[in-house]
Amino acid sequence: MDGSKILLLVVFTPVVGALLLPLVGRASPRARNLVALALVLVSLVGSAVLAPGVFGGTDVVFRQDLAQGINLWFVADRLAVFMALVSSLVGAVIVFYSWSYIAHYGHQEEYYLMVVLFLGAMMGLVYAQNLIVLYLFWEITAIACWRLIGFFRDRPIVLRADKAFLVTVFGALVMLIGFILLHGEGGSFDLPVLRRAFAGRPIPDLAVGLILVGILSKSATLPLHTWLPDAGVAPSPVTALLHAAVLVKIGVYVFARLFGDTFVVSDTWHVVVPWIAGTSALVSAGAALVETDMKRIIALSTVSQIGFIFLGLSVGTEIGMAGALLYILMHGLSKGGLFLCAGIVEQTTHEKDIRRLGGLGRTMPVTAVAFLLCSFSVMGIPPFGGFFGKYMVIAGSMETGQVGLTLLFLAGAVLTILYLLRLFTMVFLGQPRGTTPQETSRSMVGSVAFLAALSLVGGIWITPSAWLVQSTVVNLLVAAR
Amino acid sequence: MPAIPVTALLLVAFPALGALIVLLLPRDASRSWVSVGVSAVQVGLAIQLFRAVHGAGHALAWSAPSWAYWGLEASFRIDHFAAFVLTAAAGFSILVSLYGVAFFAGRNDTRSFWAGLLASLALSSGAMMADNLIFLLFFWEGLLGTLFWMIWAGGPDAWKTAVKALVLVGLSDLCLMGGIALVAVSEGGSSLSLSTIGASGGLALDATGGLAFVLLMIGATSKAGSLPFHTWIPDAAVDAPLPFMAFLPAAIEKLLGIYLLARIALELFALRPDTWASHLLMVLGAATILIAVAMALVQRDYKRLLSYHAISQVGYMILGVGTAVPAGIVGGLFHMINHAMYKSCLFLTGGAVERQAGTTDLARLGGIGRAMPVTFVSFIVAACAISGVPPFNGFFSKELVYDGALERHWIYYAAALLGSVLTAASFLKLGHAAFLGKPAAGTRTPKEVPWSMWVPMLVLVAGCILFGVYNPLPLRGLIQPILADQLAGHDFAGLPHSWLLVALTCIALALALANHLWGARRSGSGLHAVDHIHHAPGLSQVYAMAERRVFDPYDQGLVVVRGFSLVSFWFDRGIDWIYDVVSVRVAHGIGRGLRALHDGSYSLYVAWSLAGVIVVALIVALS
Repeated sequence: MDGSKILLLVVFTPVVGALLLPLVGRASPRARNLVALALVLVSLVGSAVLAPGVFGGTDVVFRQDLAQGINLWFVADRLAVFMALVSSLVGAVIVFYSWSYIAHYGHQEEYYLMVVLFLGAMMGLVYAQNLIVLYLFWEITAIACWRLIGFFRDRPIVLRADKAFLVTVFGALVMLIGFILLHGEGGSFDLPVLRRAFAGRPIPDLAVGLILVGILSKSATLPLHTWLPDAGVAPSPVTALLHAAVLVKIGVYVFARLFGDTFVVSDTWHVVVPWIAGTSALVSAGAALVETDMKRIIALSTVSQIGFIFLGLSVGTEIGMAGALLYILMHGLSKGGLFLCAGIVEQTTHEKDIRRLGGLGRTMPVTAVAFLLCSFSVMGIPPFGGFFGKYMVIAGSMETGQVGLTLLFLAGAVLTILYLLRLFTMVFLGQPRGTTPQETSRSMVGSVAFLAALSLVGGIWITPSAWLVQSTVVNLLVAAR
Repeated sequence: MPAIPVTALLLVAFPALGALIVLLLPRDASRSWVSVGVSAVQVGLAIQLFRAVHGAGHALAWSAPSWAYWGLEASFRIDHFAAFVLTAAAGFSILVSLYGVAFFAGRNDTRSFWAGLLASLALSSGAMMADNLIFLLFFWEGLLGTLFWMIWAGGPDAWKTAVKALVLVGLSDLCLMGGIALVAVSEGGSSLSLSTIGASGGLALDATGGLAFVLLMIGATSKAGSLPFHTWIPDAAVDAPLPFMAFLPAAIEKLLGIYLLARIALELFALRPDTWASHLLMVLGAATILIAVAMALVQRDYKRLLSYHAISQVGYMILGVGTAVPAGIVGGLFHMINHAMYKSCLFLTGGAVERQAGTTDLARLGGIGRAMPVTFVSFIVAACAISGVPPFNGFFSKELVYDGALERHWIYYAAALLGSVLTAASFLKLGHAAFLGKPAAGTRTPKEVPWSMWVPMLVLVAGCILFGVYNPLPLRGLIQPILADQLAGHDFAGLPHSWLLVALTCIALALALANHLWGARRSGSGLHAVDHIHHAPGLSQVYAMAERRVFDPYDQGLVVVRGFSLVSFWFDRGIDWIYDVVSVRVAHGIGRGLRALHDGSYSLYVAWSLAGVIVVALIVALS
């Protein structure tokens, strides 16, 4: 099978397959669970199959021209394959974890449909080379996300789902105007065409600003971030999927794709975006120290860490960009682990308020250790993977001479240590309050242990991820010049 | 004999593997012996490396092929200095492990401690051998995790201290990270290798380089336990298992911190005496000596008192290295290894007392010297060494530091000497209160500790005597070769060069003794021998504030952070209010307004339509 067919399979197998899941579920829930995982694995394995060729230097292209400049144009380059691998890897773990988690609740057909559709749309989004196609997949993720956040159907929960939907769709529409502006000046929605059209000159600031609104709303950055902590009402695997691993990385990815890979932006943005990111990182970290809801704290932590990723991407240095990509990977693994740990705690204790939790380390040792290891990775403590990402982002920021900004982020890193330790100690240490539940589900505990182990191994054996990231960044910077 | 890269790799991998084995072992008793065994092999490997470096006559360097990403390179460089601290670290590991065999006997919760100890050994060995700064940071910052882990092993209430340690040390490690990033900027990103930068003459202390120096210095000195990020150490002395104190804060962290400080100051920045950086280091050193020893003086707990000295003595090392003159640097580095020996020994005596007498509260101790003669003798030797009494090792290294400090400015010398008076005074108090006098009522009569606990103490005592009486061995064999080029022909071995300084030292020690005798007679007990200083006007208020943790950057920092986070929280809520309330109200308002305009009245609709037609007509007419 040639590459372009694999590429189509990677994108459309989960998108189409998701729609069939409810039918399978009617016949056998067990089969549906397996098929759901298999659909995600198709993306993972397919991307992995594409990887050697792509990282060897040959991009895989699928192109089908449609009307009005809306062309079905997919390209598997290094950045896309990297993002696809990260998303589908974490996605697969989360689907596996869901088997046990979601078995306790109703509406499972809808759940698996939306999760797999979401991951499929993510694949389409990362491989798309046409802005309108990208936008379409972007909105599919918003719809899936809306249903998943409102999964439990109580009125306050549905309202929060609406909020997430409204904020991100508002951002997306503003971004669409930006796309249309680019079309007006560049004459196309296709990124390769636009790249040639704007070669050597920065794209209009207005378009950058409009597109940024979309990116920042999707990646939950101040002041468009408050939907993310509110979305913590979703089932825990969903929050892991949305907040940690995949959804919030969409904005970051599109930022890297447009402003790292395709276009040159004026120098102002290399200062403005880092400061937005810095404010976002610091304010959300501060808020995380006050919050008492376990999942809100982790969600605010995501807002804060996304700030680090934006910093690395936006300062415009090679090491910063590489650090940001590495951080996307490591943060996805460890933050996903944190949310899934929170899910175990929530499901066994039926409690999310950390003031009413405590001493769970004794009865849930594996969860506690996995939580601590994942926290260490997010804090950036070696030998965990987060260390390298954090160092490289900081070094990239220093390299631009913005010392004050970098120190701001270092302060954010100290706050990260504080709020994660506070969360860990209040949930797992101290005296047990109320019930002392046991770890019941092996597949759930196994999933978090797997993610924690990956965070650790990914740091000790950094070579493969560092190599992936390095090749990606070299490719990016060559393309943008 | 395996090749050098293999030995270097083994020095990291072997203890790491040991940590893994300890984690998996089912029985506690076997863990301590695994640790002893692994440490013994580690000593063998380190000695082999030391001999190889010595034989080669130059540093051995090695880097992993095809492993360089943005200045991050897996490169080792083992020179005389590195091989020396590596061997010392392994040596302390074996002594503490042996000590722990009996100390932890009968306990079934030592898994974290032993695994943490071996993991710390692996990481610190890596940090000592790393040449690339990011590679160094990888190992260095990794010690955060093991630090947290080992303090946490102290029991159900130790985690608060563990959190405090992780936050404070994490803060200083992040400073180190920022400093390394700045070095990369200063260097133009070409190389982050210590030896390459050192060979090219070092970095300039300009705006970027200067900030880099300060950040790196914070990282290095804080690891060694200097002000102001030291306040977790006294808390850990109470909460953490005692062998932890003898191992990390007393020995390994001192070796690491001063090792890196020397590397930064002497190699990376080629520090000269006429720079502000040199003065900064000396001020930091002097302040650390005085403030920490003043705190040590008034402690009433054996372990807490010792922990303040673990901070205070770092001041001498920083002061010595900071002088940037040969005598001071040699003295500082000599003091580093001396301190590791006598302070470890002192903590081990503390552990012996704790285990045998059941307490380390000085008010409840007393008169145990007769019952625990080996411990008492070890205490006396180590206390003399730390107080700088001839002919023990601490005397010679302190004389060198004095020499260097006086060469720069008398004020630094005076601070160091005053520190020595107070050090001696506090150890007279400690020894008197714990080992002499009458036993407190209701306490049990202790027995001497088992052999596996007194052997490590006596080994360290022997070291304190040997390194003092026969100081050419450490000075010519270990310390001076580190500075081969910078020494300019000086040789500091043998007796001190300045008899005036020796005389002043003796006067200082006599003063301390007189103060103690007077204070003890006045108050009637050894424990209260320094109460006249504690309660002196002016000082007593400062002490009271210190006891309320007014000067603790952790407690004060948390207040600031709490304030900041409340502001952030309400700012965040404010933004959310715009979404949840304002935008909803605006939407409702617009909706109500529009609905009011669509009330079903036919005449109103016609009026609207006419108005529309007029507007369109006007636009057409005007354009």
